[in-house]
Amino acid sequence: MAHYIMAIDSERCMNCKACIIACQQRNHVPYGLARNWIRETACSTAPAGFRFQPGTCMHCDDPSCVRACPTAATWKDSDGSVKIDVSRCIGCGSCIKACPYHARFLNPQSGTADKCDYCQGSTPGEVPACVAVCPTHCRIFGDADDPGSEVAGVLATRKPIHVIPKNSGARPTLTYLDATTPEILPEGPTESRPVEAMRPMAKAVTWIGGLVLAALGGTFVRQLLWPSAREEEEPAANAAGHRASNRAREEGTAEDHRGQS
Amino acid sequence: MIRRHTQSAIFMHWFNAFCWIFLLFSGFALLSGDMQPIDQWWQDLWQGIFGQRGLLVAHLAVGTIWCLVYALYIVFCARSDVLPFLREITRFQGKSDLAWCVRKGLWLVLGPRRTRRLGINPVLPPQGFYNAGQKMVAVMAVLSSLGLVATGILMGYFSGDAAWAVSQTVLQWCLVLHFACAALMAILLPIHIYMAALAPGEGPALRSMLTGMVPLEHVREHNPLWYAELKASGRPESPVRDVSQPGQ
Repeated sequence: MAHYIMAIDSERCMNCKACIIACQQRNHVPYGLARNWIRETACSTAPAGFRFQPGTCMHCDDPSCVRACPTAATWKDSDGSVKIDVSRCIGCGSCIKACPYHARFLNPQSGTADKCDYCQGSTPGEVPACVAVCPTHCRIFGDADDPGSEVAGVLATRKPIHVIPKNSGARPTLTYLDATTPEILPEGPTESRPVEAMRPMAKAVTWIGGLVLAALGGTFVRQLLWPSAREEEEPAANAAGHRASNRAREEGTAEDHRGQS
Repeated sequence: MIRRHTQSAIFMHWFNAFCWIFLLFSGFALLSGDMQPIDQWWQDLWQGIFGQRGLLVAHLAVGTIWCLVYALYIVFCARSDVLPFLREITRFQGKSDLAWCVRKGLWLVLGPRRTRRLGINPVLPPQGFYNAGQKMVAVMAVLSSLGLVATGILMGYFSGDAAWAVSQTVLQWCLVLHFACAALMAILLPIHIYMAALAPGEGPALRSMLTGMVPLEHVREHNPLWYAELKASGRPESPVRDVSQPGQ
């Protein structure tokens, strides 16, 4: 199984945005939305006065979007990509909020979450549109486990840099080569309060439900072996026995009296 | 014998039981990761049977059928079943209901002898058509159903590419409320099943959910307040007439 990784030599990017347009066209991304981006950072030493950082879904290991999805509509595939099954997505937006890179958006046409899938949905087996169209070849994509691939070569020979938003704990697989600006992204809200509340609720269901089932099982066994009704029958039978013996005693005493009289 | 449940109420009870159990099981199987209350194998099992998309479709389909059948039932059986049911389950008796729940629980778990040792009288307060436990579960079930229907309809039909789709925040809250309602019933349903089907002395009550009829002796013992009402109306003395009167 291939292990896909995208590497980006951001120093080569000239902000032509061909990657964004090619992606929109190949994946039919609605107007005004995009699966990838180019971040611009003002820099006086750069030739254009800016540093450019192309980006897209980081296809993280242990992705926060996957953990946030309540219906398992998104998952980390064995080929290294993070995928969405739109047929299972209810469009609740939990994953969109959970992504610290804001790489996801709600597709208004499908009503489901949308993001980069390395163009596997639109053109499976082909190089992603952003990689194919880049005139400066700053995006390199391929199977990192194949020693003969270009991506494996650059990952082996150049310094890998992973851009991580502050305090996000993200583990991106998208790798920048040698240098990129910025290296750390600002922290942003990534939690959906309602959906986060489901985690402790699920735990509570597990424990309370388990205890209830255990208690019911125990009660069932108890009633099978030592029925409560029998406990009540015993005192009732004893009381009936007492009453009968008292009555017999009283009758006996009365007869004695009659005999004496 | 006296009629306790109408034929339509019996049908709806078992229809409800099937739908609730399927929806509960399949709904839990839709949840993943930390939100999965059982375990990953539960999701794998159900998705193995129905497929990933199939499970969501089946959940939505059964939920929709359940809603539609219930809507028809509420409309056509309002006077014979629904309103009397709602009237009976809301006849709360505060302290007496609480005492019944505590004493019945202790009677089953500890037995009468140990309950007395705790200084608690195990004799149950007299109950009406429904006992306190049945009333509690029924009220919870009605409220949970309303929550499940409202949030389920929004998530199922007012989401995705629908022109009238609600916002992501509304959907997220729907998800939590839907789960909360289902979780409540996931805890109460096993108690209801045990008390109705496995607890000692409940055989006639369980059989009445199949035949609709319950022995008068059982009513006198378990539902003395209902028995008193029947007696006041002169009905226990003429059980044959009751058989021909559904909904009594």
